[in-house]
Formats: sequence, structure tokens, C-alpha cells
Amino acid sequence: MLKNLTAVCVLAVSSATLFSAIAWAQETPGETKKLKIISSLPLTGSANAQTTSVINGIRMAIDEVNGKVGDYTIEYEALDDASPQRGNWDPAVEAQNANKASRDLSVVGYIGTYNSGASKISMPILNKAGLVMISPGNTYPGLTKPGTGEANEPKIYRPTGKINYFRVVPTDDLQGVVAAEWAQSMGVQKVFILDDRELYGKGIADVFEKRSKELGIQVLGREGVDPKATNFKALATKIKAVTPDLVYYGGTTQTNAGQIAKDLRTANATPSFMVPDGCFENAFIEAAGDANVNGSAYITFGGLPADQLTGRGAEFRDLYTKKYGQEPEAYAAYGYEACKVLLEAMARAKTKDRAGILQAVAETRDFEGVLGKWSFDANGDTTNKVMSGNTVENGKFKFVKVLGK
Amino acid sequence: MSATPVWKKFMRIDVALLILACLLALVNRRLGLEMVDPMRGVMVFAILALGLNIVTGFTGLLHLGMAAFMAIGAYAFAISSCDIYPFQLGFWWGILFTAIVGAFAGVLLGAPTLGLRGDYLAIVTLGFGEITQDVLKNMDVITKGTQGINPLPAPYVPWWSDGGLIIFEFASDQELPWYWLFLGFVVVAVVVCRNLERSRTGRSWLAVREDQLAAQCMGMAPVPVKMIAFATGAALAAVAGGLWASMYSSTGEPGNYDFQISILALCIVIVGGMGSINGVLVGSIAMIGIANIALPKIAGAMQNAGWIVSGSVFGSPNNWKYLVFGLVLVLMMRFRPDGLLPAKLSLVSAKKKNQVESTP
Amino acid sequence: MNLATQGFLGEYFLGMTMAQATLVENVAMGWGHVLSQQLITGVSNGMIIALIAIGYTMVYGIIELINFAHGDLCTLGSFLALTLVGALGMEAWAGLGGTAAVVTLLISAALFCAVLNWSIDRVAYRPLRGKPKLALLVSAIGCSFILINIALFWGGLPMEVFGGGKAAAAPKDFPSLISNENLLGAHSAITVTWRDLFVVMVTIPLMIGLTWLVKSTRLGKAMRAVAQNPTAAALMGIDVNRVIGSTFLIGGALGGFASVIYALYNNTISFQMGYRTGMDAFTAAVLGGIGSLPGAVVGGIVIGLVRALSDGYIEARWTNSVVFAILILTLVFRPSGILGAKLREKV
Repeated sequence: MLKNLTAVCVLAVSSATLFSAIAWAQETPGETKKLKIISSLPLTGSANAQTTSVINGIRMAIDEVNGKVGDYTIEYEALDDASPQRGNWDPAVEAQNANKASRDLSVVGYIGTYNSGASKISMPILNKAGLVMISPGNTYPGLTKPGTGEANEPKIYRPTGKINYFRVVPTDDLQGVVAAEWAQSMGVQKVFILDDRELYGKGIADVFEKRSKELGIQVLGREGVDPKATNFKALATKIKAVTPDLVYYGGTTQTNAGQIAKDLRTANATPSFMVPDGCFENAFIEAAGDANVNGSAYITFGGLPADQLTGRGAEFRDLYTKKYGQEPEAYAAYGYEACKVLLEAMARAKTKDRAGILQAVAETRDFEGVLGKWSFDANGDTTNKVMSGNTVENGKFKFVKVLGK
Repeated sequence: MSATPVWKKFMRIDVALLILACLLALVNRRLGLEMVDPMRGVMVFAILALGLNIVTGFTGLLHLGMAAFMAIGAYAFAISSCDIYPFQLGFWWGILFTAIVGAFAGVLLGAPTLGLRGDYLAIVTLGFGEITQDVLKNMDVITKGTQGINPLPAPYVPWWSDGGLIIFEFASDQELPWYWLFLGFVVVAVVVCRNLERSRTGRSWLAVREDQLAAQCMGMAPVPVKMIAFATGAALAAVAGGLWASMYSSTGEPGNYDFQISILALCIVIVGGMGSINGVLVGSIAMIGIANIALPKIAGAMQNAGWIVSGSVFGSPNNWKYLVFGLVLVLMMRFRPDGLLPAKLSLVSAKKKNQVESTP
Repeated sequence: MNLATQGFLGEYFLGMTMAQATLVENVAMGWGHVLSQQLITGVSNGMIIALIAIGYTMVYGIIELINFAHGDLCTLGSFLALTLVGALGMEAWAGLGGTAAVVTLLISAALFCAVLNWSIDRVAYRPLRGKPKLALLVSAIGCSFILINIALFWGGLPMEVFGGGKAAAAPKDFPSLISNENLLGAHSAITVTWRDLFVVMVTIPLMIGLTWLVKSTRLGKAMRAVAQNPTAAALMGIDVNRVIGSTFLIGGALGGFASVIYALYNNTISFQMGYRTGMDAFTAAVLGGIGSLPGAVVGGIVIGLVRALSDGYIEARWTNSVVFAILILTLVFRPSGILGAKLREKV
């Protein structure tokens, strides 16, 4: 009993200390001229390379205005929506981040998420808080467009009925379609479709499959793969036996697109390999190995690659390269653009309240950013529909053509 | 046993934790702790780990597939209550149904496999976890695949407001009602576990854990005993899953209920102290607290202090999370191998017990 | 029905049947080839799994620990190999140099993993001897997390092979040091490459060597004695800790070999790869009968084959389920694995 009592005392004292320590550590909210932007992206785990680049883009946008909009100082905090025990985005952490952002009244903008699945969790929370959310990476169409996902989407993400979620990337229902059209224009007649069974990968593969059938491309097979498998040699053998012209993989670098490309080569299978923008990062080429993708891999991307950006885009690329000592990854420009749009709206709104800023963001029209001139439509989607088809040459992405215009 | 004074009966760790939990709810906002929200996750995991504690702690069966029952719970809750399915039971009936489905799933897995000894059972549970995930992912006609099922109904309670009785439905942005509700669930789970532990069933669990052969010789049939443990544990895990899904108003992707979750639950039980209910509570605060409260706070503080070098893998505090989490586990076991609050009730002396455990 | 229509229909059906016949013929011709190809893939994959499984089964046999860190240990072995490839410019080593490169990698990774595994045992597991078995398990899980993080940092080294270290978390391409040329000629329907041969050529001698070591040497005898009963072994003058340490050394070395073979065979490594390799290998160890060395090998090959056949003939998305369903069924009907010893009740 005595031991028990001691334990209770120790527990009570230590928690009291902990509480007061945390309370001390917390900054006292006195200064009201401070506004905060929060980003929520998966930083622990395999998407890290891409998300770090997005954060660099966001920081750049804030640095460009010297951390000030009007009279307000802008603070930025990059939250991690992944957790070490999952090594990937974690619904609990994403919800926590969204709650944290909605409660802290100095937060006026939420840049995120990277994974569409994560947005499904945080959208309703932020919607109720009336906090503007701009995603640099979500391409699952159901988040914004009625009729493209489940019957109750996107209504369920907007409990207040208002739109607070915006994105600066074109959605998969566009990208999958142009990918299939591009394949046809390259003379593809038989295709084998794979997907990683995740929200993004399966979604875009579904669109690709549907459009391919409409275009009269023969779909030889459709399979979900296990992205954690150590290799796909057996699958490659199976694909080789039906001799498709093209293998389409709805997946990302994180779900092992590189390995699939590689194993198709290793099995001496000859089809071209097409992937969506989840693979549009140098890590994909690194993972697949130059030799396995040079000239045979095609990557669609919901925008123009960094080296095709002109005007502001080119400026961004050069500045980024100078500042961080490396070329920006594909999504860096989207992080930058998302933050830029937000800052610009804040400047227009001349207010620190969320509703005003939300409205200003929604009213964004003909924004001239690094991605060209675009607006947000009634669903919160970008009107930017310029997409690009890319291939790999000498271990580098090479722009082929503009798609979907 | 000497009589203990009445006041001492209240000096219990679980009661102390309950008081602290209540205090936390009261001071959270004032001190800007931002801890009520993550504490809901801690409580869900506490219920999950209490379930595992029955299987692993009380009955001594290593279980590596707790996440599967959590997933089954989440999906059972979703299918029974989401408005795209015909059942629409609502929160409370949904949770009840979830518990029943969970128990049933436990029996279903246990029936053919509980005859297996030791770690063979562990690997069967692991396999079950993997299969469950795949089935949920691939049977997209029913489970919506990786879309997850949403929206899910929020809990509701009758509430006295403005002089009349109303049905108060929880909104997802009100953290305190959820917090109290989950705390209530934890309290109920703890009470259930305590009573079970002291019941005839509970004692037979301990008997099977300590020495199955001896228990058998005393006329006890080990398989039904284990089966009850399995079913109870699975039911608790399923409830945890249902609450989890309800909290996010979505089941999320099946991939959310992977092996890592099972491992985390196991770590909670062992770090807390096998077979100790208080231990499980402390363990879940420690483990989930470290992963979801402390590490983000440290990362945030480092960011605010400007300790970030972009472009280097070492520069971001987030890249250190695995290391810190792993070190904590290793160190805890190094210095408290019996867990933070080891179970006191042991039928065999500690020395003898180790001997029993070390024989294959 | 007039003649013209009949003729048309006749032609139509004739065309159909002819097309079908060709199809059937193709399938029949291709069927055997595809099957053999899948079997080759399955065996190669299975051998790698088996090597790692041995590490699990040895440690389990002696201290009853599911060593969760073992898969991640192999990850580090692969990272070491990739570092050496980059640092010594091994891609350019031609001819005999290529063989020398592979041998260098195998030996250095084996040494590295052996020492690392031994150190992990010394630091994290040995202090827990005689403590509850599951404390050891949690310690192993902790080590696994630490190793994952080390691999993440390792991938961030500013080296060319690591992409300059900018994308630490990205999967890394492992250069093809072993040719992917088809040994049966470029136009043969079945592909057998040096890689497949390499896997078999390295794995089988290792397994023979290990069997000899366990069956015939003093150390092997001591290991078996400790596995049977540590207390009795200690009483007979066996230094139990030393024997356990050696077990970790040997298991680690095999893991090191496996990590290099894995890297050369799959050509991709990533900091999280230990999860799946570890899971496969552990499953193999249990399927074969945990604690049994031949069991681990059989289990590994069975899992490799099942994976390949399921990928090839069922659907890739069900492969994992198929593997685990077979595992569960095997255990239900043969509770101690394929080659596991019958469990005796010890009283």
C-alpha cells in the first residue's frame, strides 16, 4: 500500500510539474498582430523527399513578402501528419493537426494535405472552423466535385455547406483522361493496368481504364498490387505473357512504382510504362534506375514541369535552386503557389478574421502565379487544366507535350 | 489480510489517473495545453490495449493481430450505422452491435487455432491481421475499398438544456464532450476488466497463463477458457475501433489498421506491465503520449527556435522520431523489464514464473 | 436462311474457331513457359527469404525471441553495400573485377551485420535475460525502429549513389553488378539470368556450411545444448552468453549475405524494406517449424513459390492473403510447422 501511495504521489507531482512546464513553454498570446499559417504534410516516412520540397516552397513564398502582410507578421509552422509508428500519414495525427489549427485563432490558413485520404479527415473539421484550406497535392476528385466520387461526396466534407477547401492541382478525373488519350495518340492498342489499391492510385487507374475502353484501347488486365512486395517479377512474367504495348500503374514512388518499372525490364518485357504525377519526382527515376526508364516511361503531371515554366515560374525555379541548392521537386511549385494565393488573398482581405480571408481566397480570379494564370472555380478547384506529358531521358525528366488543352 | 483504512482504498492509481484526466479537461484550455484532443486517441488505444491485456496479459497468449479486430469493429460500426447502408442503427446500438461482431470474430479466429501453443498462435493472429486488411481493401463492393466508409453518426446523449430534455448530438469540433464520453468508455472498460479479473473466468485465465498443464490436471478445459479471453479481448478492440471511426466520422483506409497498430498495442501492454490494468492505462499514456503529443511538441518547439536546416536529412526534427521512439522502448525495457506498473497478483512466485516461461 | 448468309456465318464461325485455336495453342505453348518462369522466380525469391528466415529461427531457437530487428538489420547491410559500391566505384569494375566486387560486398556486409547483430544482443537483449520474454520482444521492436531511423539517415549521405543525399527517404536504385542477360539465349521464352544462378550459388553453400556448423562443431553442439536447456547447459560449463552471442553473430552474418543478395537481385533498397522482408522471413520460419534450420529453408522456398504462383495465377492483390491463409491452414493441421519437431510437454 505504501508503495502504491508513493506511486500516486510521484505520479501526481510529476504530472503537475509536466503541466506547469508545458504551460510555461507555451507562448502567451499577447501580440495580436501575429497571424499564423500551418501546413500539414507527411514528414516522417517515405514521402519525405517530396514534402520537404513543398515546405521549402511555402517558406520561400513567405520569405518573399518578408514574413509580413499589411500590418501583420506571418508565422509559419510545418506540422507533420505522419507518425513514427505508422511511417505514413496517420489519421489521428491529421485530425489532431486540424483541431489544433482550428482552435488557435491566430491561424488563418491551412496548407495541406499531401494525401487525399488525409484531407477526408481534416476537411470537415476545418470546414466547421471556417478556416481556409489549400492543398498542394490532393488530386482525388471526390473531395470537391459532385458526381465524381461517392454519392454523398463532397457534401459530407462541408458540414456548414460553405466551401473552404481549395486546391491548386488539377484532379485525377482530368489527368486519367488525358493520360489515356496520350497513350492512344502514341499508338497504344493493348494496355495492362495496375494500381496500388490506394485512394489516389486506384482512383486514377479507374479513370484511365474507363477512358481507354471508350477510346477502343484493349484492356488486357487490371490488377491491384501489393505495394510493399519486395519485387514484382512474377507479375512481370504474367504481364509479359499477354504482350501489352503499355503498362499503366496508378501509384506513386512511395508505392513502389520504381520497382515495377525495373522488374518489367528485368523480365525482358518490352511495354512502355506510364504513371501519373505521384511519380513525378526525381526519386522515381532514382528508384527505378535510369536505364530502366530512359525513353520507356511516360509520366503525366497536372501542370508544367519546372523547366517548362516560363515567366514567374522560371523565376521561381531559379530562385529555389539558388536558395536550396537543388532543383525543386514537382510539387514545390504547388506549395509555393498555395501559400502565395493565400498571402495574396490576405493582403486583399485586409483583415485577420478567417471569414474575410476565406472569402478573399474564394474570390481569387485570374491569379498570375508560377503555374500560369488561373482562378478558383465554384467547387474550389483550380481552373488551370494545363497538364503535361513527360518522359525520361538520360536519367532526367524530359517534357514531351502539353496535354488536355 | 489486515484491514485497510477506508481512505487508503481510494489511493489507487486508476482513481488518480481518473482525477488527473478530469483535471486535464478543466485546465486544458486555460493553460493552452492542447492535450484533450490527442488524449482521445490515447483513450481509444487504452481500450484496445485493455482488450489485448486480457488475451496477452491475463491469459498469456501472444497476440499480434489486434488491429484486425479494431478494423472489424470500425467497419462493423460503419456498416451498421452509416446512412448508405440499410441498417442505420445509430451510435449506441451501433457500438453494441460492434462489440458483438467483435466477439464473434474473436471466436471465429479462436475456434480452429487456440489449440496451438505459444508463438504459433502469435503468427496465426499476425496472419489474420494481414488477411483482414486485404479483404477490407479488396471487397470494395461492401467496404468501399480504400475510400473508407463515411460519414458515420456521432454519439448522442439526452441532455438537460434550457429547461427541457433534448437529444444532444456531438459535433466533431467539440472536443470536450467526446473527451468525457471516451473517458466514460475507458472507465467502463476498466471496471469490466477488473471484475473479470476477479471472477471465476479471470482466475481460470491466470491459471492457464501460469501453468496450463496443471490447470488441465485440475479439470479445466483450456480451449474454452482461452476462447472467452479471445472473444472478450476482440470485443473490446472492436469497440475501440468503432469509437475511433466515429471520432473521425470515417473508417479511413483499411491500411490504417495495419501490423504497426497491433505492435503498438502490444508495446502498450508490455511497457505498462503485463496483466496490470493500471499498467495498461499508464502504458497507453506513455506510448501514445510520446508518439502523438511529446514528439510533435518537441518538433514544433525546435521549429519555433529555428533549429531547422533545410536540405539535410538531419535538420528536421521529424526525421528523428523513429530513433527517439525506438530508444524509449529499449530504455524502458532495459530499466523496467516488468513494465512501469507490474501486476501484483501472481499465483506463482516471480522466480518460479520465469522458469515456467523459459521452458519451450 | 439463304446460302449467302450461311456462307457468311460459316466463315464467321470458322474464323472464330481458328482464332480460338491459335489462342489455345498460344496459351498451351506459353503456359509451360510462364509456369516454369514463375517457378524460377519463386525459388530465387524463396532462397533470399530462407536466408533471412534462418536468422529468425536461430535466435528463436535459442532465446525464444521473435527478433523484430532482424529485417531492419538486413536493410542496413544493403545500405552498407550501396555505400561501398558508390565509394569504390564498383560499377566500373569489369570482368573478374565484377566478381571481386560482389565478393567484397558479400563479405563486408556479412561482417558488418554480424558485428551489429552481436552488439544489439549485447546492449539491448543480454541485460534482459531471465526477465519476462515479452520485455525482450519490445526491446527488439525498439531496436527495429532505431535501425529504420539509422537507415533513413544513411540514405541522406551526400553521395552520388544516394542521389546526393537530398531525398533521404526515397527508394535507392542498386546498380546492376550482375548481368541480367538470359543464359538460355536472348530469344528463349524462359529467362534464367546470372542473378537467379547467383542467388542459388551463394545460398546453397551457406546453408550446407551452416548445417555442418550446427551439427558437427563444438560451437554447434553448445548452441543446441543451450537451446534445449540453458540452465543445464550452464551447469555443464557452457558459457551461455557466449553461445548466444555467437548465434547472433552467425544469424547476423547470414542476414548480411541475404541483404547483398537481396540488393543485387531486386536492385532497389529503401529504409523501410526491412518490414516486408522481415515479415516474409519470419512467416517462413514459422511455416517451416520455428527453431528448425531445414524448416526455415523449406518455409522460405514455399513462401517464395506461393507468392510467385499467386501473383501469376490468382491476383497480386490477394497474394498476401493467400500466403497467410496457407500459413494458418498449415498450422491448424500441422501445429508445429512443416518440419518442426513435435512439441513435447515439459513438466
